[in-house]
Amino acid sequence: MSKDKEGTSRSVLRKKHLLVDATRPNLLEDTFPYELPPLIRLEGPVVEYVDGEPIEFDFGAVKDRDILISDTTFRDGQQARPPYTVDQMVHIYDLMSRLSGPNGVIRQSEFFLYTKNDRETLDRCRALGHDYPECTGWIRAFKGDFRLVKEAKLKETGILTSCSDYHIFHKLKFHSRKECLDSYCEIVDAAFEAGVRPRCHLEDLTRADIDGFVLPFVDKLMEMSRQVPEELSVKIRLCDTLGFGVSYPGAELPRSVPKLIYKLNRECGVPSERLEWHGHNDFHKVHVNAGTAWLYGCDFVNTTLFGFGERTGNPPLESAIFEYIAIKGDVCGIDTQVITELADYMRSIGLPIPDNYPFVGRSFNTTRAGIHADGLRRDERIYNIFDTEKLLGRPPRVAITDKSGADGVTHWVNEFFSLKGSDRINKIKVHKLARWVIDQYDEHDRLTAISDQEMKQQVKELLPEYWEKYEGRQK
Amino acid sequence: MATVEERVKAVTARVLGLSQEQIKSDHSFTVDLGAESVQSVELVAMFEEEFEIEMDEDSALAVETVGKAVEYITNACMEQGVGVEQ
Repeated sequence: MSKDKEGTSRSVLRKKHLLVDATRPNLLEDTFPYELPPLIRLEGPVVEYVDGEPIEFDFGAVKDRDILISDTTFRDGQQARPPYTVDQMVHIYDLMSRLSGPNGVIRQSEFFLYTKNDRETLDRCRALGHDYPECTGWIRAFKGDFRLVKEAKLKETGILTSCSDYHIFHKLKFHSRKECLDSYCEIVDAAFEAGVRPRCHLEDLTRADIDGFVLPFVDKLMEMSRQVPEELSVKIRLCDTLGFGVSYPGAELPRSVPKLIYKLNRECGVPSERLEWHGHNDFHKVHVNAGTAWLYGCDFVNTTLFGFGERTGNPPLESAIFEYIAIKGDVCGIDTQVITELADYMRSIGLPIPDNYPFVGRSFNTTRAGIHADGLRRDERIYNIFDTEKLLGRPPRVAITDKSGADGVTHWVNEFFSLKGSDRINKIKVHKLARWVIDQYDEHDRLTAISDQEMKQQVKELLPEYWEKYEGRQK
Repeated sequence: MATVEERVKAVTARVLGLSQEQIKSDHSFTVDLGAESVQSVELVAMFEEEFEIEMDEDSALAVETVGKAVEYITNACMEQGVGVEQ
């Protein structure tokens, strides 16, 4: 044992590391295949201490488990914005179905049922005849609301079963936990009677008394489920309502995502296929928490398109898609290019997507530094996360500023004319354009990036031979 | 007819805004003559234009000094059948 500067004891296991010399690059393509997102290769077992006991989790098994994505774009997503029109929702649902692919990786999407528009949307989405995502409902914990579910002929609905004392006592005004539990169980009974599978949303779970309320309640739900046919048995949605969940091994309940899933899955006996994680992004942990839920035994992660949801939003659906492919090592029939189509459509109807937003922001794979542009020019894999042209229809780009240099300008010209391989123009040939760019900043004190339109005009004037030759190929 | 060295120095002076007398054969384009990144590209482009030759981008940009440039261009002219005064 040795002590660091702060005097903390640390075990030291010195090991000699020898250089493995190479004359050919090892690009680690088993993990970074480029035509797929970088793969998440897991080795186990992983040990988490629960109640003082070491519990093993086999992360490697997730590759073969039937993990899935569910969607709440039209419910939680819509709570964060003015309502979508019926036409907009039907179009988004249609695109989501294409994205999901024949295996139904996006398995379910939930809908409000309260207004005429809600019901018309549901009818029109179902009329499209897609197998996936399956349409499910969302209602309050009121018995009378099952009439809506039955009328809509839905097989499953989410119901609010808030479980922290903040909600039980301060929001719902119950006088005791027992009164609350009994009330929830009455609603679940009503669902069974209506022939509808209840999905109990354990709201504010990451701030709840797990041993004192959550586990006894879920035990009761499992007991009730054993009395009904399998297709009606209760599903559990673990709602991290305020984004308090943490993924770190060793974190304590109620904030520990691994321990919450362990308790529900192995102690209460809720099968993985009936567990769903629903997160919020208040502490920037939303996507990792969802991925963690998959690894520890929860089959569903609940998402919204582009993470748009109440306050800071939910796990982004498109990120879950790439996580899914990275875990499975295969696209599994998912048409990832639809993600770009969805983003374009969302922008067209007024949903703001920041330029630097992963996978779909206008600049997500745009580099500004000249030295990075030089790397892109030599081999786009150097500064591109994966084959973004193939998977998203978005080749890597450079933005033209004072930092672009001749390399950045050259990359822009080649991308603009879609030139590949030996057709690509070298930077010697674009020196006049590179000079024009530099002068904008050095001579004319410009402070903004140069737009594609301005660059296009300069290519026409300063590189007329290439303009004439390749004009028809411009993007 | 001017020699390759005289022509290289003339182009260098024009691109970098210097007088020819300031330029010596052992001068580095970047360290001694202050060529910035884009100016290095402009120098190669101007040498191509002056001598009516094509140069490989990476190897031409790797040339560090005026004297080495003279050698490089002389060889390129010979390979491409362009007559020059040595």
